[in-house]
Amino acid sequence: MTSSATNHAGPRALGDVRVVDISYSAAGAWTSRLLADAGADVILVEPSEGHPLRRLAPFTEDGTSIPAMNLLANKRAVSLDLDAPHSRRSALDLAKSADIVISSHTPSRLKAWGMTYAALARPSLVMCHVTPHGMTGALAEAPGNDLTAAARSGWASINGTTDREPLKPAGWAASYCAGVVAYAGAVAALRWRDAHPDEGQEVDIAEVEVMAGAFAPAVLGSQYRGVPNGRRDPVADGLGGPVEVADGYFALTLSRAHFWRDAMNVLGLTDLAEDERYGVSWYRQQHKEEYTARVLEAMRGWKKMDLFEELAVRRVVAGPALTMEELHGIEHLRERGFWRRSADQPDGPDYPGPAYQMSATPQTLDRRTPRSGEHTLDVMRTVLGMSDGQMLTLMEQGAVGHGYPESTEEQS
Amino acid sequence: MSGPLAGTRGIVLTQAWAGSYCSSLLGMLGADVVQVEVRKRPDSWRGDYAAPLAPMLRDIETARNPWNCSALYNSVNLGKRCITLDLGDERGMRAFRRLLEHADFCAENFSPRVMGNFGLAYEQMRAIKPDIILASLSAYGHDGSWANVPGIGGTIEPSSGMSALLGYEGGPPLNSGQMYPDVVAGYNACAAIITALRHRDRTGEGQFIDLSMQEASLAWVGDAFLEYATTGRQRPRMGNRHHTFAPHGVYPAAPADGEGERWIALACESEEQWRALCDLAALGWAEDARFATPADRKANEDALDEAIRGWTAGHDRDVLASRLTEAGVVAAPVLDALEVAADPVLRERRVVVEVEHPEAGRWPQVALPMHFSRTVPEVPPRPAPLQGEHTHEVLAELLDMSADEVDELVRAGVSGGGPPD
Repeated sequence: MTSSATNHAGPRALGDVRVVDISYSAAGAWTSRLLADAGADVILVEPSEGHPLRRLAPFTEDGTSIPAMNLLANKRAVSLDLDAPHSRRSALDLAKSADIVISSHTPSRLKAWGMTYAALARPSLVMCHVTPHGMTGALAEAPGNDLTAAARSGWASINGTTDREPLKPAGWAASYCAGVVAYAGAVAALRWRDAHPDEGQEVDIAEVEVMAGAFAPAVLGSQYRGVPNGRRDPVADGLGGPVEVADGYFALTLSRAHFWRDAMNVLGLTDLAEDERYGVSWYRQQHKEEYTARVLEAMRGWKKMDLFEELAVRRVVAGPALTMEELHGIEHLRERGFWRRSADQPDGPDYPGPAYQMSATPQTLDRRTPRSGEHTLDVMRTVLGMSDGQMLTLMEQGAVGHGYPESTEEQS
Repeated sequence: MSGPLAGTRGIVLTQAWAGSYCSSLLGMLGADVVQVEVRKRPDSWRGDYAAPLAPMLRDIETARNPWNCSALYNSVNLGKRCITLDLGDERGMRAFRRLLEHADFCAENFSPRVMGNFGLAYEQMRAIKPDIILASLSAYGHDGSWANVPGIGGTIEPSSGMSALLGYEGGPPLNSGQMYPDVVAGYNACAAIITALRHRDRTGEGQFIDLSMQEASLAWVGDAFLEYATTGRQRPRMGNRHHTFAPHGVYPAAPADGEGERWIALACESEEQWRALCDLAALGWAEDARFATPADRKANEDALDEAIRGWTAGHDRDVLASRLTEAGVVAAPVLDALEVAADPVLRERRVVVEVEHPEAGRWPQVALPMHFSRTVPEVPPRPAPLQGEHTHEVLAELLDMSADEVDELVRAGVSGGGPPD
């Protein structure tokens, strides 16, 4: 099998759907990326200086933002400055042509722009807000990001170790989780509208709440115990995450009796394997100090993939800590066709595939990441029905940004 | 039932976290979700049948059965009904197959081989219900050489590349405090099923959803993969730092009542926010050449963090977070789990709500993190079900079975509640 071979032709789950994305956040961008992958025509409205994600590091050697490369792919980009009245008028017209509008803006910002759901005044429209704290409540206008979502949701309080500060999850955890929840909410609302014409609605997703939803077990567990979950003690919880092996790190999660028995046998700790007390999970949890040091020492003699394969044969759950380079070399992911390239950029980089595979309506990556405003004129012409003269007037007024007809632009 | 999925039904075999949370979300969105559980092999998140009760439940008179009083189970199974059927028994399997005739979707998170062993692989399920949607959440997906390698969140986190990215600068890779890949899988599977429902409604065609937790988690750190693919670089562990913005971190605050740790998260993403922070701190940072531009602040981040730590450590966490937020700075208190349960904003928005559980009692729980203006979901949602709580109700309602017929299944050990005889 080769990589990059997973762009299927076939029915699209959202092939009949137009999305206008006026969001400026990673969460909003991920929402519309998922909609695009499912077949929607996503029109990204970005300010004349470019979508804010385009300015975020790290960058490729040619200066392209890598977060933007991932989050903005598969969309058409139009340059319309929502702060400029002339430009905003075209954005409003675009929004009114949409089935779904994605916004990351605060209530006051939308009101100032005249882009609230009420102002858009289309009964069939689904407007999905994905914001740090939601569109109502005491924090609706407050700024936030992945860091503060991890803090307010409780996630940071349990990430990291007791000898250091709390940690946010790696990467864009809150943005990606809020993005897929917003996607789910938008499609649920769309499905409702399909069955009930003119019954569009607003969907309101808060990044902090999505992370709190993901924190639900700790919230209830802490109350049942009367003490909050905390971060790991790096010594007492020595097996609580990846631990050192001969060539890296490896996680051994011993949640069932047979996992314990078989893992201890593989590690040569047969006395621990045969001790029936450790077959009971709550007992094992309460007596970690009796065995942790010995298990850690035994693991240090193994290479991570050797140990993984040995345990996999015995159906013991275990995980080698893999880097991106190592993952790119894993045959299993190639066999599943996980890596893929944009259909219009076959020599471009491999992208990670979708989070799930759908047999009847596979997600596809049809478009490379658009340049800022790349499709402005195309969208104005085909979606808003503007004539060349009208577009020229708008350009002279500075109402539309530096979009270029696709046919005259080199493909990078 | 209310919510955007009202009128749809799932018959699910989900368990633990990823699958259970997926089906719970669908239930809270208005679907009638019937969890089917096997007493001989109960949901691992119910805990051992003989596990001790949690300390705060020991004085609650109704809290008798540990398997109905597990915080893990009760937190991720809101909005569902639960029946028990022994799928290893012909009578149990017959009832299950009849239930599938009434389902729009099914979901499970077994290893890929299990459903086939039950005779319930997707194609076999289609023979029962031609337009069924089946979502399978597994560690590594249904094909490829690792298809039947088992895994859970704590092992998928390292094998998906997530752990290599989580940790302090210069420190070892870490797993998250909970098993984050379960959350990623649960949210994604919920989204996938809703997408498939729309396609089914429009075309009459069901489908199979194959969710590999490894792939879902890897997609969640996709830009770190693209960094490798375009530059050859493995992204380092960065603690709380950001590639572009500084400051961006978690800093100590004054201990509450003189003891215990308290922390505040703080970041500046614009010059306006930086100036607001400088004004509040009033320590001359705005005039410090090391911090003059965003690039300077990033280049001198160690010194900047040190200065901020010195400032925040003398301030009350909540007061400072409020002042910073009012000034437009990105800031938040680091709440612990008990504080999240009491958080006034989450309660105001009805994401944290009081849920009355028939055995464990009344507790604030995190419910559905989604709000709809027209198809408003039920809040609070139905509490997590007791094991087998709805067996009589569901079998009567969907299969038209009499109480005597269900009682017979219980007597035979095919259904019932609690440890098998």
